[in-house]
Order: sequence, then structure tokens, then C-alpha cells
Amino acid sequence: MASSSSSGLTFKVHPLVIVNISDHYTRVKSQLNPPNSNASSNSPPPRVYGGVIGVQKGRTVEIFNSFELLYDPSTHSLDRAFLDKKQDLYKKVFPHFYILGWYSTGTDALESDMHIHKALMDINESPVYVLLNPSINHSQRDLPVTIFESELHVIDGIPQLIFVRSTYTIETVEAERISVDHVAHLKPSDGGSAATQLAAHLTGIHSAIKMLHSRIKVLHHYLLAMQKGDVPCENSLLRQVSSLLRRLPAIESGKFQDDFLMEYNDTLLISYLAMLTNCSSTMNELVDKFNTAYDRHSRRGGRTAFM
Amino acid sequence: MDPLEALVAQIQGLSSTPGDIARLHVILKQADDSLRSESTRLSSVLAQLAPSEHSLGFLYVLDAFTSGQISKQQAETTVPIITGFINACNAEQIRLAPEKFVLVCKRLKDQVMMLEAPIRSVGPLFTAARKLQLSTEHLTPLHSDFLLLCLLAKCYKTGLSILEDGIFEVDQPRDLFLYCYYGGMICIGLKRFQKALDLLHNVVTAPMSSLNAIAVEAYKKYILVSLIHHGQWQISTSLPKYASSVAQRSLKNFCQHYIELANSYGTEKIAELEAYVQTNTEKFENDNNLGLVKQVVLSMYKRNIQRLTQTYLTLSLQDIANTVQLNSPKEAEMHVLQMIQDGEIYATINQRDGMVRFLEDPEQYKTCEMIEHIDSSIQRIMALSRKLSAMDEQISCDQLYLSKVGRERQRYDFDDFDVPTKFNI
Repeated sequence: MASSSSSGLTFKVHPLVIVNISDHYTRVKSQLNPPNSNASSNSPPPRVYGGVIGVQKGRTVEIFNSFELLYDPSTHSLDRAFLDKKQDLYKKVFPHFYILGWYSTGTDALESDMHIHKALMDINESPVYVLLNPSINHSQRDLPVTIFESELHVIDGIPQLIFVRSTYTIETVEAERISVDHVAHLKPSDGGSAATQLAAHLTGIHSAIKMLHSRIKVLHHYLLAMQKGDVPCENSLLRQVSSLLRRLPAIESGKFQDDFLMEYNDTLLISYLAMLTNCSSTMNELVDKFNTAYDRHSRRGGRTAFM
Repeated sequence: MDPLEALVAQIQGLSSTPGDIARLHVILKQADDSLRSESTRLSSVLAQLAPSEHSLGFLYVLDAFTSGQISKQQAETTVPIITGFINACNAEQIRLAPEKFVLVCKRLKDQVMMLEAPIRSVGPLFTAARKLQLSTEHLTPLHSDFLLLCLLAKCYKTGLSILEDGIFEVDQPRDLFLYCYYGGMICIGLKRFQKALDLLHNVVTAPMSSLNAIAVEAYKKYILVSLIHHGQWQISTSLPKYASSVAQRSLKNFCQHYIELANSYGTEKIAELEAYVQTNTEKFENDNNLGLVKQVVLSMYKRNIQRLTQTYLTLSLQDIANTVQLNSPKEAEMHVLQMIQDGEIYATINQRDGMVRFLEDPEQYKTCEMIEHIDSSIQRIMALSRKLSAMDEQISCDQLYLSKVGRERQRYDFDDFDVPTKFNI
């Protein structure tokens, strides 16, 4: 089922489709399993279904948008009436868009998906199946989106429709680029604990400095070993290290040192001031609580409207 | 078998694991009275026990041994035993019987005072206080005894080292009063007036239901140190609001002379100040504060010279002598030189024409030392902030607080007033 497609079609997917599918899935998942319930880890992740629409110009299939569809578990097919209604609505707004296929979530295409695929074949003779893998894998750098086409292959003497993977590219309109950029910067992608942009920025700098430090340590260690004689002396490496070192003090003058230290001290003083303010506000709250709890002379009716 | 021998055997046997030690503790508590009755034989018993392993047993026996009246010759022998015990004992074991330990240490203090060699117990009491503390933030009754002995033995620096720890937990209020009072005196001895002021301030503003003598003495010293360090004392700005009402009302009545001294200090006339001091010398001497009062008079000169730096850029030594009411330019030069060395003013003396030029603070805040200084301050305040948040959380869960807050919430529904709840106007 996973061989590559030979139809020669180029697929272009817009980010809107991917965001839509992911949003649909997240909504259904959180509605099904409220965040604090204990059963959230036990039930299997729900599958969501929908249709994708776009334009096909010659050999290029461009998927612009998507919408949700109802799945009927009894007939294992999508709700046809709903699909038709949606198609009419979208046709009114986007006359050029056709239903190109459907989407779902999961790890791989299943046999049951072929049923739905065949049902759509009367709208589009070769629909596409967009599959989103909702499991978060931090090590995977690619998008977990796969596009399947259906091809007629002869297996065991029987011609069968099977899913074959196709390659695709992401095509972005300016508006989509801005929104994706905005969303990407709100939360760091590696799941770090930095909640605000400033913290994320500083975390980035911190990790960069950490990496620099570890690399310098490696070099230092290597040079020490070379000095002791543990590793053979390699002149070309030594020349590189010395040239690196000579590049280092970019500015080395008294005035620079003065200004740099003064600015450094100013920043430290500002953080000191911030910490002092933080402490005094905590102290204020603590004293208020203490007074409420232990003060014998609390005002009993004289509290104003503002608390 | 002789009950005492049996007890010794039990102590030696049951001192290894925490479970055994708990049992031993129970046995010892029961045997306490019988130990006291046999005080004559106890010295030989002590010889059989090792203080480092059998600390708990040793402690009980030692307590019974020293409970009676001890004469001077006996003290000579018991002091080394107690100091040896303190140095060698096991901290966890003695924490099981803290009152006995404190009692033994107090007897040590009495004995060395009888022998008039307080320095002999400075070191042991330092170790004892450290061992009894659950953490460096915990105040024990031994701290105040230790500081008292430091004062008597004039070893101020050792006392200072224990004052550097911030105290956050106190068992007995009296401990806190004594600790801060003696600590303040040690800081005065070392001329660290700011720290002395903080400690004495703690004594004066500590919660107290009725006035106590420690607070009165501390208040007197507080006035004097504040005159020396800050150069001013107003009766109106005297005690902050968080001082107990008892203190605010009554402390002033006991320190009348000092307040008058402060008033005459405020007039900036040295002659008046000296006259006042002369007339009331015996009263100051009775309070053992005469040395401090003399320092107050000296600080008056310093204060006047400092005031000159704000008015003049250069001044001749003769003029300084006249303004500050000193006798000669030579004295003025000596004073100014001393102040420059202490870092209290920034000036250069031109000896050829006898002119003094006052300078600005040369600190440019661009040195690495300043970076380290600020960095260490930031670290300190981060630790303090963590502690404050912990205390805040603790008090939020306090039952008394929750009951009071719950009661008040019923009257005012927060939804009625569309204001942020953080503001208490």
C-alpha cells in the first residue's frame, strides 16, 4: 500500500488545510476526553474526517481548503447528504474550487479507508486522501502529513485499488505565511517551558552559549591532551586554533572596556531593581495575609468597596 | 546487678541504631531520678562512656552529675569534661534531648564565669550551638549564651561569624531578644553600626505583650547607635508602625535621658552636647553606655564636617576648625584625615596652603568588583524572594487566615465590583 505514485501529478498543499485538520482533531479529542479525566490516556485517539477542496490545473493539484464531514460508523462511510450540502455552499463562495478528496487522521492508511475513497470516486474520478498523523514526535522534523492516491494494481491476479503515496510541496499565500509565522513564534517548537516570547528568546541565546561553551571545552581538552602528549601533535589543527584565537578580541581598548562594564553594571542594577520590586510585592501580600489572619484590630465594617 | 552498672551497660549496648537509641531514650528518661541520687559515683561512670558514640547516655549522666552545687575546684575538673563532650558528641543523638543539652551548656557557662575565664567556653559553645541547630536558620537558646560569652571574652569576631546567618525560626521569644541584643553589642564593638542598628531594631520592634528590660536597654543603645551612624534621631520618626503598641507607648518613658541627648545632638552645638553629657555622666555610666555616649560626641564632629562637604568645594583647615568648633587646624586636619581613611568623605588635603578640596564619589561603577558586588546582592535577594514566596504559600494555607478570609467574602461578592482583587485601597 505504500509504494510511490506513478501518476505524475504534482500536489501542492496549503498550510490552511493542515491547520484545519489539526484543529479539527484537537477539538474532537479534547471534547471527547476532558483534560483532567483519568481516562484520557486509555481511550484510543479519535479519528476525524473531512473533505479537501482545491483546484486542478492540468497535472498540478492544489489543495486550498478543507472542511469537516460527518462519519457514519454504521455504514463506514461519510454522510453523503451533508457532503452535498457543503459542496453547494462552498461552490457559491469559491466557484473555482472542486472537491479533490478527503482527509483523516491516523498513523497509516487502512483498508476501511478504501471504502470511503471509492464512495468519493463519483464526485472526483481520482480523489486524494490526506492523512495527518496526530501523534507528536519531537525527533521527527518533517510534517506528519501524507497524501495518498488510488491506483489500480494487479495483486494475485485481481485488479485492486490500493493507496500509493505521493510527494507534495507546501504552497503558501502571503496571508497564510503571516499567520503561520505568528503561531510558530508564540510557543517554542521543542516543547520547552518558556511561556513568553522574551523567555523563548533568552532560552535560545542560552542554548547557543551553552553549545559554544561545550565546543570550547572540547577544544581546550584536546589542546591539554596534546600538551601532555596523549594525542599526537597535529600542526594544521594547531594553526587553525591559533588563527581562531587571534580573531577573537574584536575590540580591545580601554574605552570599550569602560563602556562595556558600565552597561553591564547598568543591566545588573536593573535586574536588581526588578528583584527588589518583586520581593516587596510578595512581602506586601504576605503582610496583608498576616494581618487578615492574626491582627486583632481588624476593621470589621470599614472596608471600602474596593478590596 | 547494680542499677547504675546495668544502666551503663544498656547505654553502651543500645547506642548504635536509631531504633535502639529511641529505646535508650525512654529508658534514660525513666532512670533520670535514680541518676540524680547517685551523683557521687557518676564521674567514674562518665569515664566508661565514650561521648561520640554514647552521646545520649553521656548527656543524661552529665546532667545528673552537674546538677548539684559545684565549687570552684570541682568546676576546674568538670569544665574540661563538658567541653570535651560538646566537641565530640553526636548531633542527632543530642537533638533528641535538647533541653538537657541546653541545661548542661548553661551550667558550663556558669562555671566558666565562676572561674572567670569565659574564653574557655567560647569555642565549645560555638560547636554546641551549631550541633543543636536544625539548620543554620534556626535559633537556639545557646546562641545568646554564646554571644554573651563572646562579649565577656572580647572575642568579637567569633561572635560575628554566627551573626552572619540569617535567622528565620525562633523557638522562644526570649532567645530572640537576647540574641539580637548581644549581637547588636558585638557589632557595636566591631564598629559595624549598620548591622548593630538592624539587630537592635529587631529587639525594639519585636512583638511583646508587656515591656521587658532587654527591650529597654536595647532602645537606649538603639538611640545612641542611630545618632552615631545616621546623625539624627527624631522622636516622631522613632518607632515604626509594626512595633508593638506596648513598645510604642512605654519605651520612651524609660529612656528619657537618651531622648534629651538626641535632642541636644539635633541642635548641632557641640558645646551643648558636651555639657549635657557632663551633667549626666553617672546615669550613662550606670547603664554601661558611657563609651557609646563618648562616641556620639565624636560623631558630632564628623557629622559637621560632612555637612561642610555639601556646601563648599574647598575650604581651609582654619575655617573647618572654626565651623566645627574644634580647637586648632591641626585637630581639623586629623579629623579630616581619619574620615578620608575610613571612607566617610572624599577629599584631598593640600598641606602647603592648608586647603581641603572636597571631591565627588569616585566610584564609576565600571569595575569588575562592582559587578561581583551587584551579582552577590542579586543572589541574596533571589534567595530572600524564594523564602518570601514559601512563607506566602504557607500562610495562604493557614487555617486562621482561611477562616477569616472566608468570612469576609460573604459580605462582598467579587462579581458585583468589577475591580481587580489585587488592589487593597
